[in-house]
Amino acid sequence: MVIAEAPAGASFRVVRVMTGKEVGKRLADMGFTEGAEGAVVRGGFLRGPFQIRIRGYDLLIRRSEAAEIEVEPIGDWSAARDAARNRRGHWVNGHGCDGRGGDE
Amino acid sequence: MKPINGATVGGRVVRVALAGNPNAGKTSLFNALTGAHHKVGNYPGVTVEKLEGSRFRGETEYRFIDLPGIYSLTAYSIDEVVARDFLLDERPDLIVDVLDSTNLERNLFLCLQFQELGIPVVGALNMSDEAEAKGVRIDDRALSSLLGLRMVRTVGTKGSGVDGLLDAIDAAVGEGAPALKSIHYGEELESHIDPLQTSLALDAAFSSRYPSRWLAVKLIEKDENAFSRLSEHEAGAGIAAEAREASAWLERHFGKDAEIIVSEQRYAYIHGAVRESVKLVKKPSFSVTEAVDDVIMNRFLAIPVFILVLWGVFKLTFSLGAYPQGWLESFFAWLGGAFASALPEGLVRSVLVDGIIAGVGSVFSFVPLIVILFLLLSVLEDLGYMSRAAFATDKALHAFGLHGQSVFPMMLGFGCSVPAIMAARTLKSRRDRIVTILVIPFMSCGAKLPVYVLLAAAFFPRNPTGAVMGIYAIGVVLSLLVALVFKRTILRGDPTPFVMELPPYRAPTLSGVLWHVWEKTASYLKKMGTVIMAASILVWAITTFPAYEPTAAESATLDGAALAELSMEHSAAGAIGKFIEPVFRPIGFDWKLSVATITGFAAKEVIVSTLGILYSAPESDEGGGGRLSAALRADPDWSPLLAFVLMLFTLTIPPCLAAMATIKAELGWKWLGFEFLFLLSVGWLLCFAVFQIGGALGAGVGT
Ligand SMILES: Nc1nc2c(ncn2[C@@H]2O[C@H](COP(=O)(O)OP(=O)(O)OP(=O)(O)O)[C@@H](O)[C@H]2O)c(=O)[nH]1
Ligand SMILES: [Mg+2]
Repeated sequence: MVIAEAPAGASFRVVRVMTGKEVGKRLADMGFTEGAEGAVVRGGFLRGPFQIRIRGYDLLIRRSEAAEIEVEPIGDWSAARDAARNRRGHWVNGHGCDGRGGDE
Repeated sequence: MKPINGATVGGRVVRVALAGNPNAGKTSLFNALTGAHHKVGNYPGVTVEKLEGSRFRGETEYRFIDLPGIYSLTAYSIDEVVARDFLLDERPDLIVDVLDSTNLERNLFLCLQFQELGIPVVGALNMSDEAEAKGVRIDDRALSSLLGLRMVRTVGTKGSGVDGLLDAIDAAVGEGAPALKSIHYGEELESHIDPLQTSLALDAAFSSRYPSRWLAVKLIEKDENAFSRLSEHEAGAGIAAEAREASAWLERHFGKDAEIIVSEQRYAYIHGAVRESVKLVKKPSFSVTEAVDDVIMNRFLAIPVFILVLWGVFKLTFSLGAYPQGWLESFFAWLGGAFASALPEGLVRSVLVDGIIAGVGSVFSFVPLIVILFLLLSVLEDLGYMSRAAFATDKALHAFGLHGQSVFPMMLGFGCSVPAIMAARTLKSRRDRIVTILVIPFMSCGAKLPVYVLLAAAFFPRNPTGAVMGIYAIGVVLSLLVALVFKRTILRGDPTPFVMELPPYRAPTLSGVLWHVWEKTASYLKKMGTVIMAASILVWAITTFPAYEPTAAESATLDGAALAELSMEHSAAGAIGKFIEPVFRPIGFDWKLSVATITGFAAKEVIVSTLGILYSAPESDEGGGGRLSAALRADPDWSPLLAFVLMLFTLTIPPCLAAMATIKAELGWKWLGFEFLFLLSVGWLLCFAVFQIGGALGAGVGT
């Protein structure tokens, strides 16, 4: 699965960044490395950018970048998806991880 | 190892680079260290060029260099290249790595790379106040012994920790160049780094410039810049081939790109160090940033909020600014009257009253408006709104061939085009950067504001603010359309990545905002006293000379105002205006407006000062505020349509000389020439169409 498929509120663990070169390197340098944990805070209107929390800080990436990051779900994504639908993209504390990425 | 250059005994100079992640507080700390007042803002990428400043303590001069923020020594955008090249090519005596304590993992990732450069490093644990508030407890002793460098807690905005930092710098410099520090990248990587490092070290001159181990890792990362530096090595070609082979082997072995493997090793190391030295002692509690963002960045609200924020900025500017504007107008009317009655008739009185006071005075009253606009824009920036604006607009801007990160430069463009054009350096793709720079002139800068406000007050009296906002909106729409045309024609390109940090909201610091506003005010006052004063005197001179002697019949039949008009028509200005009038006639400008427009090329406000002189009815009955507005309205040649065309022309003509010089510096002569001709033709054609069609529809009559 990739981040682009994750609903708002979903937590994930990075498996790998699937592209190299400029984007892949930039994403890796900003903390998307194998084992790092993060969460999707929200997605933008009409497939606009994602707000992602990783290693204790937030960043914005487009869907095209989010589609290059392979992740495994933490917890139940479909529950997060339902919650997101009910809340219309409202993200509430507690769904995300504490932001400490894990490399172990 | 290289000796510590610059360091001499007695009155020694230590060159210290302030480097680190964007928005970590480097410039705040730089200002605290040197007493400078450079621009600080809560946005990643405020500083785009290197800044220098000194601090003296005892016998030592610390020469600080503030660098643009970087996430890694692999640089993509121009501002990142500036920082990397400074560190590599000018090798400072020491690097202060400014770290955001609330976000240590990502910040220390860069620190490892600094250490590999073989330059002494001191870590500034900046934002320590925020970290404490968030319950992030950092064991700095443990951290410094794990990483092998001195750490000092600082708060850049308050200047605390500065003395400790200077002590640490002294101690680190005193120890001389450090033993090369580098992490262990794991057996597979090391077995490829090793031979490369050995080959690199064979050229002694080369390896004294670039630490061999660092460069070996960089080559394995396939860093293009590292490969180009390799050409200086005597066996460069062979090493390049060896490095490519090593990367290829590793990629087969790990099944991922070599540059990513290296980053993962660094993060794994840092993650371990942070786990041992940083504790979260508080449960994450209510966060203002998250609560506010739930509204501001809500998927449905983000764009309406963005539009509302822009609207609010201008609305507030006009409603607050109206008061000082009125006071200044009255003051200059009084001043003109006072001089007129105190001085005897003659050239001195004329140049003072009809030249300087009429010209400079008519622009001066707009200074408060411009200052308030600047103030509001810089508050938005300090709060941290600009990255939210990027989130809100990225999708839409992308459709028009711009980028989410274009929003920051474009919004700065409402203040002044020069910093706006510079700010486009943070855009990673050259194409996006060019398009952003080329459309910035459509973001009406502060200098265009006086023209708009003057004309709107005179000809759209029912809703002047609405008229001014309308012209701003037209500028924004034009910028999008122009970007779209470029995207479809001369500047096609693949979509470029958008990866941008989102900082938390922060309270603007009072001193920072006040200083910024004062600086702006001072620079405007200076502009009044130089460019606008000079232009006023020049325009006065060409409207006064050669003096015209009315014939007996004219003196007998015409009143004072008509006589003044007649003598102006026979002056040098009349001759010049009539000569160029044919160019402007199709867009409705008479000779007076033609003169005003031409002088406006120097600076947009000069259009207003020139009109102020050309329409200075000396014995004006009205007095007080709005004198020039009244004079324009009374002139039968003017109409709301003409006023609108002049606003449109002011919006679209090429920017001032300073902005054009910046475009030249950033993009070169070719793009400047293109932009100049492009704006000129777009502006003229647009005005032509509006004037002719509007005239045909009879839109001259009222609003
Ligand atoms: N609370 C707190 N805020 C700080 C501190 N240092 C800087 N800031 C704020 O953090 C933001 C970024 O500060 P800058 O000094 O512009 O950061 P920079 O590293 O120069 O940023 P770039 O030039 O964009 O790379 C501003 O809003 C500052 O007011 C600090 O120690 N504590
Ligand atoms: Mg800065």
